[in-house]
Amino acid sequence: MLENFSFRTIVEYLPLFGQGLITTVWLSALSFVGALIVGIVLCAMNLQRGWLFRVPAKAYIDAVRATPLLAQLYFLYFGLPRLGFVLPELVVGILALSLNSGAYIAEIIRAGILSIPRGQVEASVASGMTYVQRMRLVVLPQAFKVTIPPLLGQAIVLVKDSALLSLISVAELTRAGQLLASDRFMPAEGFLTIAAFYLLLYYGLKGLAGVSSRWLGTAGART
Amino acid sequence: MTTTGLAKTGMIDFRGVNKWFGSLNVLKDITLSVEPREVVVVCGPSGSGKSTLIRCVNGLEAIKNGDLVVDGQRLGDPATNMTQLRTEIGFVFQSFNLYPHKTALENVTLAPIHVRKIPRAEAEKAGRELLAKVGLADKVNAYPAQLSGGQQQRVAIARCLGMRPKIMLFDEPTSALDPEMISEVLDVMVAVAEEGMTMMVVTHEMGFARKVAQRVVFMDAGAIVESGTPDEFFSHPKTDRSRAFLSKILRH
Repeated sequence: MLENFSFRTIVEYLPLFGQGLITTVWLSALSFVGALIVGIVLCAMNLQRGWLFRVPAKAYIDAVRATPLLAQLYFLYFGLPRLGFVLPELVVGILALSLNSGAYIAEIIRAGILSIPRGQVEASVASGMTYVQRMRLVVLPQAFKVTIPPLLGQAIVLVKDSALLSLISVAELTRAGQLLASDRFMPAEGFLTIAAFYLLLYYGLKGLAGVSSRWLGTAGART
Repeated sequence: MTTTGLAKTGMIDFRGVNKWFGSLNVLKDITLSVEPREVVVVCGPSGSGKSTLIRCVNGLEAIKNGDLVVDGQRLGDPATNMTQLRTEIGFVFQSFNLYPHKTALENVTLAPIHVRKIPRAEAEKAGRELLAKVGLADKVNAYPAQLSGGQQQRVAIARCLGMRPKIMLFDEPTSALDPEMISEVLDVMVAVAEEGMTMMVVTHEMGFARKVAQRVVFMDAGAIVESGTPDEFFSHPKTDRSRAFLSKILRH
């Protein structure tokens, strides 16, 4: 059985996998930056007292979290052109991942900010700090530390979600596996190889999480 | 209800102040005046509204009606800049509320640098002196998690003093401390009082009250029931409720 497994074909296709890997890395990185921006804006809206910003932000977050990413992606890819917006598939892909992940990141940041004990806000209010000063000097530095691990978790999810972009013919890692599977009828080789590459990316991000938490741990974060 | 035309008397002036939490009347028609340099101890059973009373002074809680004038400024008045007024009022919390991501010195200098706009070098020099004054010269670079409760509360007092406030409010400053740490915090509070700070202190520490307070205010169910000198209050309580309260805290 295993003698049918062709390492030679994998090696032959390595340049293709390499290109796919590189594409997955940079489009995930770009999407994550986009998602951070979307998340910060949504979270700021969601924390407002007035309903004008809060209600749309909540509705958006609910809509994204309640619907499959694939449906969102297909809406942007097939639906938007019918409405008059034609965008390249790469742009659609990055947009979809940013808009999707941003909703989750908004909730991660919100949880981080709300996890800061009320006494911290009261102490800074009592010392005469303005809203901006207490966010900048007291709340956000502490929220940042608790937010880093779940944010890296979300980054890992985003990298795996980027596999869906193969369905709108973006030449990323999963697409490379599909090509090997269909060109040579070697799905085992194709998909096992991309799985190995995703695992590699996972350990890379996990290492990053470990480094950052050690770095933050020495900055006096213990309470 | 208006205060215009009335001569201002105290540093802190409550006149007919009421406050509700939902349907609960937590402050009932409070009238109380604290003179400059006066130390007033507020005591009473749990839930009597004593913490709420002092939290109103710096606007951590809003009053419903009546007048509350602090340092000549009427709270709730659009002309009153609360942020500015708060820089003149130090508040010491039961649970310290030090900033865990900042060292002892940074806790003390944060507001002076960013709110008072004092140059960093000057603020740090003053901060070191204040930490030395509260007996923590060797803990300048320690984080709150590395300090005992008593040490944290002393840093918290130094943090307030760093703003050079006119008024200091203490909300049960020793209630969260182990017994052996209470006196180190009370000693610092006595020193602050002896320098002429206007203080309102919610506490049941009678030794402290007898030593520095000019007045003890006894609250029950949101109202001021009795007020007098520490000696009058502790030795000759006038009401049944204060007698019942004192018999409970004095028994042990």
